Parts: sequence; structure tokens; C-alpha cells
Amino acid sequence: MTSPSLTDLAKAGFAHLSDSRSLVEEISRDYGVPVNDLLDAIVDVADPDRAVIELERLCRTGSAHEQLLRLLVSPKAFVRLLRILGGSSGLAAFLQRHPGAMAILSDESELPSADALRASLLDSVSARAGVARLNGERGRTSLRMRYREELARIASFDFAAPDPTAVVQEVSSTLASLADATLEAALAVARADVVDGSTTAEDIAQVRFAIIGMGKCGARELNYISDVDVIFVAESASEESLSTERALTIATKLAQHVMRIVFEAGTEPGLWEVDANLRPEGKAGALVRTLESHLAYYDRWAKNWEFQALLKARPVAGDPDLGRRYVDTLAPFVWRSASRPEFVEQVQAMRERVTAHIPADEVEVQIKLGPGGLRDVEFTVQLLQLVHGQTDESVRTRGTLESLAALASKGYVGRPEAASFAQNYRLLRTLEHRIQLRDLTRTHLMPRDEDAVRAVARGSRVASTGEELLEAWQRVKLEVRDLHERLFYRPLLAAVATLPDEALVITSEQAESRLAAIGFRDPRTALTHIAALTSGLRRRADIQRALLPVLLKWLAEGPSPDSGLLTFRRLSEQLGESPWYLRMLRDSSGAASRLMTILSGSRYIADLVERIPEAVAWLDDDADLTPRSRTMLGTEIESIVERHIGEDGAKEARKALQSIRHREILRVAMGSILGVNDDATTSFGLSAIMEATLDGALQLAVRDEPRNPEIAIVAMGRFGGEETGFGSDADVMFVYRDTPAISGNDATRRAERIVSRIKEILEDHRVPFDLDTDLRPEGKNGVTVRSLESYAAYYQRWSLSWEAQALLRARPAVGNDALLADFTAVIEPVRYPASMSVDDLREIRRIKARVEKERLPQGANPTRHLKLGRGSLSDVEWLVQMLQLQHAHAHPELKTTSTRAAMRAAVEIGLVSQSDADVLMAAWYLASRIRSALTLWGSPTSDMLPIDRFDLDGVARLMGYPAHSAAILEEDYLSATRRARTAFERLFFEA
Amino acid sequence: MDKQQDFVLRTIEERSVKFVRLWFTDVLGTLKNVAVAPAEVEGAFAEGVGFDGSAIEGLTRLYEADMLAHPDPSSFQILPWRGDVDPTARMFCDITTPDGLPAVSDPRHVLKRTLAKASEKGFTFYTHPEIEFYLLNNSDWENGGAQPIDQAGYFDNVPGGVAHDFRRRSVRMLEDIGISVEFSHHEVGPGQNEIDLRYADALTTADNIMTFRTVIKEVAMEHGVYATFMPKPFAEHPGSGMHTHMSLFEGDTNAFYDASGKYQLSKTGRSFIAGLLHYAPEITAVTNQFVNSYKRLWGGGEPPSYATWGHNNRSALVRVPVYKPGKGQSSRVEYRAIDSAANPYLAYALLLAAGMRGIEQDLELPAEAEDNVWDLTDMERRALGYRALPPSLADAIELMEQSELVAETLGEKVFDYFLLNKRQEWAAYRQQVTPFELRNNLQSL
Repeated sequence: MTSPSLTDLAKAGFAHLSDSRSLVEEISRDYGVPVNDLLDAIVDVADPDRAVIELERLCRTGSAHEQLLRLLVSPKAFVRLLRILGGSSGLAAFLQRHPGAMAILSDESELPSADALRASLLDSVSARAGVARLNGERGRTSLRMRYREELARIASFDFAAPDPTAVVQEVSSTLASLADATLEAALAVARADVVDGSTTAEDIAQVRFAIIGMGKCGARELNYISDVDVIFVAESASEESLSTERALTIATKLAQHVMRIVFEAGTEPGLWEVDANLRPEGKAGALVRTLESHLAYYDRWAKNWEFQALLKARPVAGDPDLGRRYVDTLAPFVWRSASRPEFVEQVQAMRERVTAHIPADEVEVQIKLGPGGLRDVEFTVQLLQLVHGQTDESVRTRGTLESLAALASKGYVGRPEAASFAQNYRLLRTLEHRIQLRDLTRTHLMPRDEDAVRAVARGSRVASTGEELLEAWQRVKLEVRDLHERLFYRPLLAAVATLPDEALVITSEQAESRLAAIGFRDPRTALTHIAALTSGLRRRADIQRALLPVLLKWLAEGPSPDSGLLTFRRLSEQLGESPWYLRMLRDSSGAASRLMTILSGSRYIADLVERIPEAVAWLDDDADLTPRSRTMLGTEIESIVERHIGEDGAKEARKALQSIRHREILRVAMGSILGVNDDATTSFGLSAIMEATLDGALQLAVRDEPRNPEIAIVAMGRFGGEETGFGSDADVMFVYRDTPAISGNDATRRAERIVSRIKEILEDHRVPFDLDTDLRPEGKNGVTVRSLESYAAYYQRWSLSWEAQALLRARPAVGNDALLADFTAVIEPVRYPASMSVDDLREIRRIKARVEKERLPQGANPTRHLKLGRGSLSDVEWLVQMLQLQHAHAHPELKTTSTRAAMRAAVEIGLVSQSDADVLMAAWYLASRIRSALTLWGSPTSDMLPIDRFDLDGVARLMGYPAHSAAILEEDYLSATRRARTAFERLFFEA
Repeated sequence: MDKQQDFVLRTIEERSVKFVRLWFTDVLGTLKNVAVAPAEVEGAFAEGVGFDGSAIEGLTRLYEADMLAHPDPSSFQILPWRGDVDPTARMFCDITTPDGLPAVSDPRHVLKRTLAKASEKGFTFYTHPEIEFYLLNNSDWENGGAQPIDQAGYFDNVPGGVAHDFRRRSVRMLEDIGISVEFSHHEVGPGQNEIDLRYADALTTADNIMTFRTVIKEVAMEHGVYATFMPKPFAEHPGSGMHTHMSLFEGDTNAFYDASGKYQLSKTGRSFIAGLLHYAPEITAVTNQFVNSYKRLWGGGEPPSYATWGHNNRSALVRVPVYKPGKGQSSRVEYRAIDSAANPYLAYALLLAAGMRGIEQDLELPAEAEDNVWDLTDMERRALGYRALPPSLADAIELMEQSELVAETLGEKVFDYFLLNKRQEWAAYRQQVTPFELRNNLQSL
């Protein structure tokens, strides 16, 4: 006997060299197997280290000695033994318990036929005419042992296959046959067990009893270890000799016994759970029903998922005629389910379930669930079957692979996609089989320890190292995810376009039902858009044909796929053959997915994009989606003003100014919805656009005449605070000053003329520029523009508290810098008074209280008004402004036009507690964000929290909530503003 | 559920039911009723029955008027007082909006949602109420018309009295409609009776209370008398409370029971009581929702007006009843403030939420009240840290307005509506010039 070198061991595939060497030597010594033979044999084994450990254990099992000696004579049988021992500790333990079972390994491994398995299992309990002679504990034990022998035989075949993925379907199908046979034999034992004083063998013989396999068993694609889903059905053979009621009582006993015989703990461990919970009414329902009772249930009460479960139903044991009648009677129901009204929601819910509910730490190692897992394949295939099986009987098949083949042969999916989908599915199933075999446990998780992964790699022959296996698996996952799109969405195009490379035949009705199933409200129109997008021979059509499947999927994930698709069509007609556009769609999946997100999510953006199609190019680069600085915008606008001169020039310039504004708003909007810009960046960006546009308008307005007074624009309100949202008004005040060239009434008239000219220039029907001058002295009754002296005089004499308050947000924005500086000096003492009297404060409080009563529109619900409602924007802003009026003189930190900044300062000074500020600002932010989202969503008004669920849901999604969050957003808003109101009342009215 | 729906349809056929009443409850706890013909019941199961929700107190906003009532087949009962002529049945309903979402303002949904939260933590909530009410000779309250039907007292047996017959007939009818009665007796006040319902899960109990009120009123009419659940109909006699015993179960185990704990009370039970005491003042506007409720709470007769607990101490707000050896499953606590006019869905939702908060926040149970809380002076109570329940509806509203617990449990909309309605009630009450004022002031001033 030579001692093997560690290198030899490593070559043979051992990982734990020293430990295994001593075992190898020991076995070699005790059984006279030459070390080299052993090493040759082990090369083919999934886990050599485990194999020798288990072999050594087997050697120590006294009763195994003789069997071992017999097996060791044949090198081939020895290899078969080692494969089992190294591939499955579960089966190894079985062989250690029952060494006699090793006999099955003496023959070449073949898959037993269904008939052979049935005969074998029935023989194990000595069944005659469906009744076992071996019953009770003995019957059970014998049945279970035979089951495991057969299982070892199947495993042995599986381990021997040169390419396990090629035989995975046969293996699964044989495992299902084994389960069938087991249930049949268990039923035979049950028939013997159930006989007692009140139930005679004759009675039992009168009971027709059938077991229907569901799920994976029904579909003949069972795993090594899996629950077996069943439904029981029974009837009396002759109503005269046995009433139906009595037959059901006996059948229920039979069913209960079958379940226990298979699974209940015993000297030989139970096999797998017989799960009857798919039956009508689930756990609460009767275990066994008659066929009529099943029929009545599905006819009236069943839910959609129950019909989907029926898709897999197959008679597996018991009375074959009754079983067949069950399946034939209920089959039509399955195919009616897709036309039920709630089908779409249920399918969507199903899709969400595919990815949801996986513990976070399992996502990485899930073979079954999770993105790119087995469930993805099964879901896609089932969905296609339900949609097309309604009209086409040939796709009403049970198994995943057979269904995929049927769908491909009828042209519902492309053949190449179907082929690679099938290959991926086989590979995933093989991995699952290997992992389950290892410990004979029901798991769908890739092991985490290296040795185990390596064993899975070797055992499946997918890779030779663990690392390679994980890489291969990763590739498959990605491909499976991708294939879902290509299988489900790509054939939609075949309904309206000729796809050159495939024989896809799908009618427009079929395509429409598919579109409806994923959430298109008007599938017929959608289909015409798809037709338009994919027709023609030009490059654009080619590329769109290739891309549309995934684009449709992205559109369908948004709240409004129909309008998104329409805009996409228009866009693509406008951009035509622009090479950059096609290149971007084709090469940048990020940009394409972003495009679909905004088109399906925001009417406001969709409208703008349609007018500025080149904006699509920005999607490729985040830098293009961040707001342009005020300086950059200023330079561009200045050059426009300089370029377009004369009377015609003015028109051109105005147009150019407008399109810059649209373009920049679109940029900020896209960046905001795609999460590139945060709220503050968005507000600054929008304020800069407003300011630059005003600046341009002012420049254009003054150049009409040679003599102009000094003129400037002061930003007010949210614009003043640079807290502008989408759809915000531009609150402003105009100020002018005489110059040596023009003064007095001339100057006034000229200033007024300039202001009205600015208003003309800014007029915009598409994206309204709401210039609001109501915050000027005397409000709506005051003149629109005043001289600096007039402002000074007015504020000195008349200033009302609300005007001082409005000035807190006055920010020099546009025009003559010196004038703006002087204006700021004039208002300084007004807005930051040295002291506030008790009367002043009382007046502010009184006005606030009055405003609450008066300004809210007739009939508006105060809890839903975003601006003036309970605890919303104006509450928070009034509070901040009152604090500024009182304390800014002493605390210059409070001298800011920004509500956010002022609140921060108030907290630092100690005027407001941090917790109150948090509560108040939470409501302020939420209301601001809802207002912006409403505008983006395309709502005509942005002042009220919508009532319509569809609108609420769309707004919620724009704000980052998951789908179906209408009620949650509503509750969030109502509670945030309620808390803010409580804090406001305390701080504003009582402090 | 499907089997139950089948059962309902079959029973309607077999018993030739002529009308089916669909019941639900508005925010204030008033029972509402939509009657449908038997032929419509199947459709009602499948799609619900549409009705105009804007007509129902607090159920909806005007612009969201369409609502659907979905009958709960497990609540199906033939109404016994209708006799065999034209048999009539009833089912309780869940209310949804047309898109199938639960109406946030359906009180039954509020309770269901709260129960579901507790169930996520593994708890089932059981309650058993002791409902007190007065029997009067009529309902004419003006000119001192309404009088109690007898002058008997606690546990008195009144031979040949209406009350006795009345209770026998009521209990019979309640049992007929599937509500088990634990106990019934004459209460302290003249004409005052108490009937205790057997414990059941809180949703069933709340449904049962709604049914109970209807049954009692029907039986009273049969006997030519009038039954009222008003909290305090007579200044000189005790008010009508609805002491409620509560327990939490984890599976089949009573979570309040611990053989080794003081009074056999578990840690969970102690924290639950601590939660009840902590939140009692702010939930009182719901457990005692009318102006009149505060006449009971503060009007003498030693009701539980201070947030205290005690072992068998009848002056305490929360009482831990005497433990009967070997009855671990019956461990429970009794909340004594709630009155017979409360909306049981909302009140039970809040009691559960308060108790659950106690458990979640691991609140410490304050010392037990061993004396009669009423015999103490204000200063003594203050020293012992006994907080008073709100003295009036106005005070209760103020406390509730600040309560995150109540807002969260009821949902923002019910919360808002409830407060709005109660503020109106208080405002209307304050406008009254009462006989008390006239008597004391008119002549002397």
C-alpha cells in the first residue's frame, strides 16, 4: 500500500487534503481497494471529502460489510456508490441505516418508468387490488424505505449524467412519477388501516377516491425534496349501497391516513408533506369533496389564483376515471379566468409578489425567488399561457418546459428566446437539485460556504470551481431577467409588424389582451402606436423594434403608460432619424428607461419634451440634468438680446427667451423627477430661471426707447426666498428712479410702459409665467410701479404690518444694481424694525386669523388646502415671519428671505425648539413637494390635495412612494399638517 | 368566507326570509340600515351595495358620496323579534369606496385595523361588556314625564314586575340571535338593569353591542316601556356604564396570566394596564362621548373618575378582578369609565391601542390604589399621582386634540370628524339656559 501524495489528492478533487488522506488510507487498508483506484473513482464525485467521510462511516456500520465487499468488486459500482456518498449526505445516511439498499447500485443506473415505480412501491406494501397486506407501522416503514431506494436510483442516474442539465426534465418527471407511486401505495395502506368496527372493507371498496396532483407534482416537474400539493376528490360507486355522505366520511379518513402514512414521524423518517391547502376554501374547507361540490365552488366562489393553480392539475393516484373527470370538468374554468375583470390587478400583484417578501439577506443566494430566479421563468410562462390559452388550446399544457415549447411552436414567443429561456431554466433547476440532494432538505438557497458551493459546481458539472459556478449563475440570472421582456413584450410587435428573423404569429386581439394584462387602459390605441413605431424599413423602425419590448415594460411600470406611449410615438416621429437619438436609445439603457419613467409619470414633462425633443439627449448625462447657473443663463440671454434687434428682432428675441425658459424648466423637472436634483437644488434652479427670464424681458423692454429711468425688479414671496416650485407664481415689485435724462411724470409713464411691456413679453400660453404684483403697497389697488421716493414715503407713513411682512422676502433680483441697493436700504427699517409693540403683534395675529377665514376659496376643505390650509405653507411661513419681525433686528442671522434658513436661525437662537421646527418644516416640505408634484403630474390646479385616487397615486409616485399609495400619502399629509397646526397655534398665538 | 356566503343564501331560501337588513355604524355609533330583497344578497356579496355615503354622519365627504356596503356573511342572523311572519335577517357590513379600498371612516374598519396591528404582534383581543340601561315608562322627557318603571335596587327580584319579564325575554331573544348572555340583574338605580354579554373577540363584541341595543329597544317596545342607554338620565340615580373586561391571548394562552405574578398578573398584563392609565384622559372623549357622559363620570355614585388601578377596588378606573384558582384563561382587566352610549368600535380600538402602547413602550405600572379614591382629598390624590379624567366634554376634546395615539388609531379623517362633531355638541350645549340656572338665579338676581 502506498501513501498517496497530497498533490495526488488535490488532483483527484479533495479540498481537505490531510484529513482525507488518512481516511483514504484507512479505507484502502480495510477493504483492500488500491489507493489509486479510489482516487480514480473519486474524480467524478461532487464532494470527494464528504464522500470518504461517509464511506468511512459506512465501513464502520457492521451490517454493511458484506454489501460493501460485493460492491467493491465492480469499479463501476464503486464509483456509483461514491457519487451518492459525495453528492448527498441524506442518501448516505439512508444507506448507513439500511446497507441492504446498496444493492441497487450494482446495476447500471437507469431511470425507472412510471409503471415500474408504481409496481415497485405497491409491491413494497404487498398491495392486491388496491389494498395493502402490509399495513400499519410495517407498511409505512416498508413504503418509505422503498421510496428512498428508488430515490437513490434516480439520484445515481442523475449523478452519472455527463450533462445533468440535459436530463433535468426527465429526472423531475421521474421524481413526480415516484411521488405518484408513493401516494398510490400509501392509499393502499390507508385502505387497510381504515378498516374498523364501523367501516368494513366492502364499504371502502365502494368509495371512489382520487388524488389530484397540483403544483410541481401536477406539472411533472418535481424537485428532490418538495411538498407535494394535492386535492382529494371522492364519490360513492353506488348510492344504493353507500350514501355520498358516508362515502365522504370514509374518503376523509383515507385522505388523512395517506397524509400521515407519507409524512408522520416514524422509525423510518417521513418523506414529504402532502399539502392539501390548495383545496377550495384552503385550510378551512372540507378535506375531501365530491366532484359536484368542487364544481359548485369554482363556479361561484373561487379567486383567480385558484384557477391558476388548476392549470397544473393532474390525476396522480386512486380512481383514474374519477381523476380524469375532475380535470376535464374544471379545465374550462382556468381559461375563463383571464377574461375576469380583476385579472390585471391580480397579475400585477403576482408580479410584485415575485420580487417582494424575500428576506434581504437571502436575495443574493435565492435560486427560486428574486430577480432572475426560477419563479421569474415560471411566472412569465404562466402569464403567457393564461393570456393565450383562452383562445388557443394547444398552449394549455402543464409543465414549464413543455409550455414554453408549445408557446414557441405557435409563434407566441420567439424560438431563440424560448430556447435560451429553457436552457437557463434547466440550469437553475439542476443547481436546485444538487443543493437539495446534498442534505436532502427543502431549500432554494445557494449555500454560503465555499466547500458546499464547490460541491454544487462539481456535482452539476456546470463549472469546476465554486467561483466559476457563481459567475455562470450570475450570467443566467441577468439573462432570465432580460428574457422576460423579450418573451412577453417582443411578440407584441409581431402583431403589428413583420419581424424578419422569427415566425411569430400573434393576432392583434392577443396582443391587446397582453397589453391590458400589464396595465394599458386602452390597448387598442396602444397597439396602433406600437404599429406606427415599428413600421417601415428605416433604421429607426429597426431599432425601435428591438427596443420596444423593454420600453413597453418600463412604461407599464409607471402610473400612466397610455399617455407615455403616445408621447414617445410623437417624439420619435419628430426626432426621426437623428443619429444621436437612435444611438442613445440603443446604447444607453439608462437613458431609455429614464425617458419612459418621465413619459409615463409626468404629463407636464411629456408636453415639454414633445416641444423640445432634443432634451432627450440630456438623459444620458446627469450633468445635463442639473440646473444651469444664473450666470450661464444670463450670458445666453444677453447674447439673444444683442443678436435680435429692430422690430422683427423683438419678436424673435421674445420667442428665443421663451424657449430658453421652457428648455431650462424641462431640464430642472427631468432632473427632479429622476432624483438627480434634491429639493433645494430644484428650487434654486427654478428661481434662477425666473430671474434670468425677467432680466431678459426687462432688457428687451427698455431698449424700445432711448430715454429710460433707472428700473429694477424685486423678487417677493417664494421667489424672493428662492423656494420656487413647479407652477409657482413669480411674486415681484417694480421700482424706478428719475435720471437726469427723464424725470417726473415722463419717468412715471415710461416706467409704467416698461412694466406693461415686460408683461407682454412674458405672456406664455404653454407654460404660463404668472407674474404677480399683488404684494406691492396697497395691494391690488396700488399702482404697479413706484419710484424709490414713493416707496420710501409710503412705508414711512402708511406701512401696514402685512406689507412689512411681505418685505421680509424681498430680494433684489433684476435691473439697476444701485437702485436695488437703495431700495434694500429703504425697506431695511420697515422689515427689521427695532422693536415691535404688543399692538403690532396683536395686529399680525388678528390678520392671520382673518385671512384664514377669508382667503380660503368658497367650499374648500381647509385640511386639504396646501397653501392656506390647516398647518400648511402659510401657517409655517407666518410664524417664521412674525419671529423675523420681532427678533431680526437684534439677531441678524434671521435676516434671510428663505423660510428654511430663517427657521434654522430661529432654532439656533432658541426662539423655536428643534422638535417644533422639525414638525413645522416636515409639513412645509410635504406641502411644497405635493404642489410641485401636482404640477408635474399635469393637474390644472396645485392648491388642493387631490381627491381622485388615480391623481393621488400619480402624485405619490412622483414623490417616491411605491405604487398604490394614495391613501398613505393622504394620511401622511393630514397627520403632518395636524401636528404642524398644533405647534403653530401654540407658537404663533400664545407665545 | 365562501362557505358562509353559501350558508347565508341557503338559509334565506329555507327560512323564506323576506327582507335582509344590511347594518353598519356611523362615526358616532348610531346604527344604520339598508334593506335589500333576498334576491339581491348574492350580488351584494359579490359587488357590495351602493349607497350615498354623504347622508351618513362622518362617513364621507360630500364629493365622495358613492360608497359600497359589503355584508359580512359570518354576522348573518334572523331577527327574532320579527316573528315568523315575513322573517327578516341582518348582516353587518364593511364599507368600501368604489375602488374597493376600505372606507377610512368606517368605524368597523378602524377596529379591524387596530386588531390587525395587535395580531401582527401575535395578540388577539377579547372583551366582555356589562351593559347598563334604564327602563322607563315612556320616552317623553319633557314635563318630568319619563319615570323609571320600578323603585327596586341592586339584585332585587321584583315579583310580577315588568323588569323581570323584560330581562327574561331579552335574554331569550339575544340567545336566539346568537349573542350569549353571561348574567342579568337589576341594578342599583330604580328601573336600571344590567345585562352582561359573554366574552368574544372585540369585533364580534362590538357587533353584538350594536345588536344588543336594538334588541333591548325592541323588547321594551313589546312590553310598552322604553329603554335608554343614555349615560345619566337621572341626576339622583347612578348612570349607565359599560364596564368592559379585556384580555389578550397569544394563540390559546392568556397573555395576562402568570401564576407567579402578583394577582396572577403577567408582565404583559401590567404593561397593558399601565398603557390604559397613561392614555385614559386623552381617549375619554371617545369612551365617554356625550355632554351627558360627564354627568355620570362626575355626578356622584362613585364612578371611576381618576386614572388608578386596583385589585377589586371599585373606585379604581381599572380593576383587576379577583382571581379564581385554576382559571388562568380567565385573567382579565376591567375598564370602568366607558359608558353605554359609546361607539363600541372606536372605544375598543382605543382601549386596545392604549394597552398595546403600554406593552410596546414597556410602561411601568404605578402603585395600586388600595383606598377608596373618592374618600381622599384633592391633595392626597395629588400626592399619590392620581390624574383625573376630564371633567367635561370640552376638557376631553382638548385632551383628545393633542393625542397622537387617538389620531393614529382612528385615522386622520375620523379623528377630524369626531372632534368637529363634538365641538359642535359642546357649543350647542353651552347655549342652553338650564333649570339649574333659572332656579338659582332668576329670582335671586
